[in-house]
Amino acid sequence: MADDKYDAIIVGAGPAGSACAYTLAKRGKNVLLLERGNAAGSKNVSGGRLYTYALELLEPDMYKRAPLQRKIVREQVMLLNERGSTTIDYFDPAFGEQVPQSYSVVRAELDEWFAGEAESHGATVASGVLVDGLIEESGKIVGIRSGADEMRADIVIAADGVNSLLGQKAGLFPDAAPNSVGLGVKETIDLPDNLISARFGVKDTEGAARVAIGCTDGISGGAFLYTNKGSISIGIVFNLVEAAKQKRQVQDIFQDFKMHPAIQPLIEGGTSVEYGAHLVPELGYNGIPKRLHREGFLVIGDAAKFGINTGLIIRGMDLAIVSGLAAAQAVLETNSPSQTGELYMKQLERLLLTANQRAYQNFHNIFEISRIFSAYPNLANDAMQFLFTVDGKTPKPMLSGLYGAVKRNVTLGQLASDGWKAFRSL
Amino acid sequence: MPGIIIFSEDSMLAAQLMTPALELKQSLNQPITALALSEADAKALAALGADHAVFLQSAGKWVDGCAEAIFAQVNKAAASIVLIGGTLRGKTIAAYVAARMNAGMTTDAKTLKVENGKLLATRVLYAGLALCEEAVVLPAVATIRSRTFLAPPAAATPGTVESVTVETDARVTLGAVSPTGDTGVDITTAGKLVAVGRGFRKKEDLKLAEELAAVLKAELACTRGIAEDEHWLPIARYVGISGQTVKPDLYLAVGLSGQVQHMVGCRESKVIVAVNTDERAPIFEAADYGIVGDLYEVLPLLTAALRK
Amino acid sequence: MPKCLVCYKWTLDEQDIKIKPEDLSLDASRAKGKISDFDRNAIEEAALLVEKNGGAVDALTYGTATVKQSLKDVLSRGPAKVYWIADASAESADAAVTANVLAAAIRKIGPYDLILCGEGSSDLFNQQTAARLSALLGIPCLTFLQKLSVEGAVVSATRKLEDGTEEVSVTAPVVVSVLSEINKPRIPTLKQVLGASKKPNEEIKLADLGLKPEDLVPKATRSSVKGFVMQRKNVIFKESSAADNVAKLKAGLASEGLI
Ligand SMILES: Cc1cc2nc3c(=O)[nH]c(=O)nc-3n(C[C@H](O)[C@H](O)[C@H](O)COP(=O)(O)OP(=O)(O)OC[C@H]3O[C@@H](n4cnc5c(N)ncnc54)[C@H](O)[C@@H]3O)c2cc1C
Ligand SMILES: Cc1cc2nc3c(=O)[nH]c(=O)nc-3n(C[C@H](O)[C@H](O)[C@H](O)COP(=O)(O)OP(=O)(O)OC[C@H]3O[C@@H](n4cnc5c(N)ncnc54)[C@H](O)[C@@H]3O)c2cc1C
Ligand SMILES: Nc1ncnc2c1ncn2[C@@H]1O[C@H](COP(=O)(O)O)[C@@H](O)[C@H]1O
Repeated sequence: MADDKYDAIIVGAGPAGSACAYTLAKRGKNVLLLERGNAAGSKNVSGGRLYTYALELLEPDMYKRAPLQRKIVREQVMLLNERGSTTIDYFDPAFGEQVPQSYSVVRAELDEWFAGEAESHGATVASGVLVDGLIEESGKIVGIRSGADEMRADIVIAADGVNSLLGQKAGLFPDAAPNSVGLGVKETIDLPDNLISARFGVKDTEGAARVAIGCTDGISGGAFLYTNKGSISIGIVFNLVEAAKQKRQVQDIFQDFKMHPAIQPLIEGGTSVEYGAHLVPELGYNGIPKRLHREGFLVIGDAAKFGINTGLIIRGMDLAIVSGLAAAQAVLETNSPSQTGELYMKQLERLLLTANQRAYQNFHNIFEISRIFSAYPNLANDAMQFLFTVDGKTPKPMLSGLYGAVKRNVTLGQLASDGWKAFRSL
Repeated sequence: MPGIIIFSEDSMLAAQLMTPALELKQSLNQPITALALSEADAKALAALGADHAVFLQSAGKWVDGCAEAIFAQVNKAAASIVLIGGTLRGKTIAAYVAARMNAGMTTDAKTLKVENGKLLATRVLYAGLALCEEAVVLPAVATIRSRTFLAPPAAATPGTVESVTVETDARVTLGAVSPTGDTGVDITTAGKLVAVGRGFRKKEDLKLAEELAAVLKAELACTRGIAEDEHWLPIARYVGISGQTVKPDLYLAVGLSGQVQHMVGCRESKVIVAVNTDERAPIFEAADYGIVGDLYEVLPLLTAALRK
Repeated sequence: MPKCLVCYKWTLDEQDIKIKPEDLSLDASRAKGKISDFDRNAIEEAALLVEKNGGAVDALTYGTATVKQSLKDVLSRGPAKVYWIADASAESADAAVTANVLAAAIRKIGPYDLILCGEGSSDLFNQQTAARLSALLGIPCLTFLQKLSVEGAVVSATRKLEDGTEEVSVTAPVVVSVLSEINKPRIPTLKQVLGASKKPNEEIKLADLGLKPEDLVPKATRSSVKGFVMQRKNVIFKESSAADNVAKLKAGLASEGLI
């Protein structure tokens, strides 16, 4: 092998980059996977719930080798207001019997494992390397730059995350606009396993995933909690523009959320072991850049702004893996570099990534209904309070009591227009 | 008969070593031999209760060069315990002597006692993150940092003093020696300290800290980076595992993050105050009082408020 | 053209070590390995010396099975070859055992003109290894160096000590330990990182060093390791008005009798 020419250079050892490198290396390609962190995963902050189908697409049963935490069997949605919470709880221990539907993961472990899988198939993994430029010749991308060093390849694949510098350098899209990304803050809290299982009502290998709205000071956004082995991942994702307008610091809102009477007992007695903030693509299908390729260059994963956030589920890692696979298959399919880009787009369709993104195309509009983030959670709790209050006084008629709860929080006009908007978004 | 040996090229530290040496003498019932590089030191140590003090007389000026000569004395006295003052020179000599004795050594012992034929010391690990007990089989060497112990009062009956001529390591040539300036202040005895870190953007900005220190009647201290990388303050003013250990009534830490390697040197201060822009900086966990804010804004206000 | 050997230790990153609140024991389960901080300065200094004077640098490390993780890292920082000893005994090794093992390895792979160590390891910070090596190898030792240069066989250095600096010089071979201020370790470039996988590494088996069993028995053993926790008031003022914060702090200082 020539010393400084590879079949493919992949920049970024997150799930997208590693999935791509793994697939290419397994098929005998000479692959270089570059990561700026000291090790794969060392810079990654993520809530940590991985939908397993993605690994299954990569290779049947691969998930069995992966360092997974707990199998999610309990889905919980919390509507919080200042005083209390209303929780919807869906429990099914057999959820996703054949291939489990999803697992909680710890990114530092998952990413290191994933890059190691690529390495064991012959990919060269070099960490501590910041890629800061592309080599362009006669309109084609032919390699990358890192400081004074250059390295060439038939194809460069940008898996460099939501702030993709390489995508910008290739001229495919501008710097991520503030309204296109959310800000996620996340903390890992160590707790004994038996406490976690008891607090979330699951068995030792099983886990729960919670999302919560009504905890963001009215800012568009929501919170999540995942149970791991011996720790809990807890975090909030905010709309960046709205968060920036707020006077209060994001950390303080996060702190309040952790101290909420319905949340605090879940994490009580734990030790914070990790804290970080990271951006997330926010706009779903509409945020995906028009062009994701040039000759000699593909963009995958968060760099391509693949991401689905319905408020109930956050998906990014699975889409990153699928897009990495799509890129690898495109590269493997042809010897003619000018076609790789189109083939990549076809693979995204074939692997249903595009269809998944499109299905939630208008979903983001829901988040423009600001009342979702305070008025409605309040309403739910007011209604619950009314329904469950027994104080010996003459109860109000059911309908007028509930109507009172509605009226205190929204007008009928707002309710109608929000309902219509929500309906259209779905 | 086996004995306890002490040595430090620093006269004050040598006197402090007499305290643990006398305690160990109690439990081991072995005589103390003090080694010194000047006759005056030897006499002083004999006066503090060393049974025997030896003035190692040599032509060589390079302190570390007497390591082999010290080992010879240790050997002669069949020492069971060797206590050496934990200066950088002292640690070098101690490690050399320990290797020659084929003995174990504990570095920067905070407490010492003998139990079941072992020297037990408490010391820090991971630069201060943890404390542990280290047990060293006898014969054992320990280094002790300045001010870990107070010097004992004069003994009722002073020991004997002897002078021997020794050879020093001739392989090393000592050239220019430049003492640090600023020898006047000793931050380890200051009642109040204002400690500065990399939050200061340039040397001139230290004025802000100096003014605050002036109204508080405090001395300036700093982190390692300020002394060793920036050279903005003398090395004798930096606090931490590889710097000074201080225990003032007030330790006002400004623009320093509070990494454990630094805090281990000041965490026994009575009151710790922090000023830092980063609410998550570890210094706030270590502080009694703190202001989350920009030192460039806070210090002038604080100085003015305290002047009133 | 000095032949240099740099001794480095693969340690746990103390920033990842947590103190368990229940019993103050240490939890290192999330801790990653790293080349001990000051050893990076030693490696860099050796690389600089060789860039200037010619010659060659090798690296040597003794640790548990995890030292293998360090090989690419150290080779990307300059050394041409790394010798490694992976043995479970390293887990509880004290400075005496470490020096015995390193000295025996140096006798086997040496001789070297210049043996470089860091000022202290970031976990134990014994600050013993360099001086012990000099005693065991019977060669002089210059510790705590702020500056180092080599001309022919003469090694000149500036030591930085509590009371000032001193210039020293000596004829090689010599063991030295360097301070962190002696240089700024480079961040390996892409080519250096990739080049590291092509450089040789050689495992040395402890059994092949001809050490007596007692040379491997630690004389110093550590027990009752407890995390250090501060008991502090943690009264933090973080209002947006700096003047308010200052006023509150002043009141706090007054209540402590400090002003
Ligand atoms: C708080 C939070 C919670 C989340 N929760 C979930 C969840 O529960 N489930 C889910 O599926 N998704 C979740 N996501 C989204 C998920 O984290 C991302 O979609 C996913 O990490 C994308 O993977 P990637 O490989 O494309 O990019 P990344 O994981 O961001 O990886 C990019 C890699 O490239 C490296 N890199 C960047 N630039 C360079 C450069 N110039 N040179 C070299 N290397 C470079 C980075 O260091 C990084 O390792 C969450 C995100 C956040 C912020
Ligand atoms: C083995 C070993 C031994 C060591 N020994 C020592 C030692 O003895 N002593 C020692 O000090 N260090 C020692 N160190 C280094 C130590 O780990 C830290 O790196 C060092 O103490 C950090 O110095 P700092 O706080 O000045 O700088 P930083 O860690 O960079 O902190 C600067 C702080 O200033 C804050 N800041 C920035 N701007 C402002 C502003 N405008 N207003 C207010 N705050 C601001 C920042 O938020 C930050 O918290 C050692 C390290 C090792 C590995
Ligand atoms: N296990 C080891 N392997 C190689 N070098 C070591 C080892 N332990 C210590 N050293 C070297 O000795 C120096 C001082 O270590 P210490 O005496 O433990 O403070 C370190 O900075 C290293 O250069």
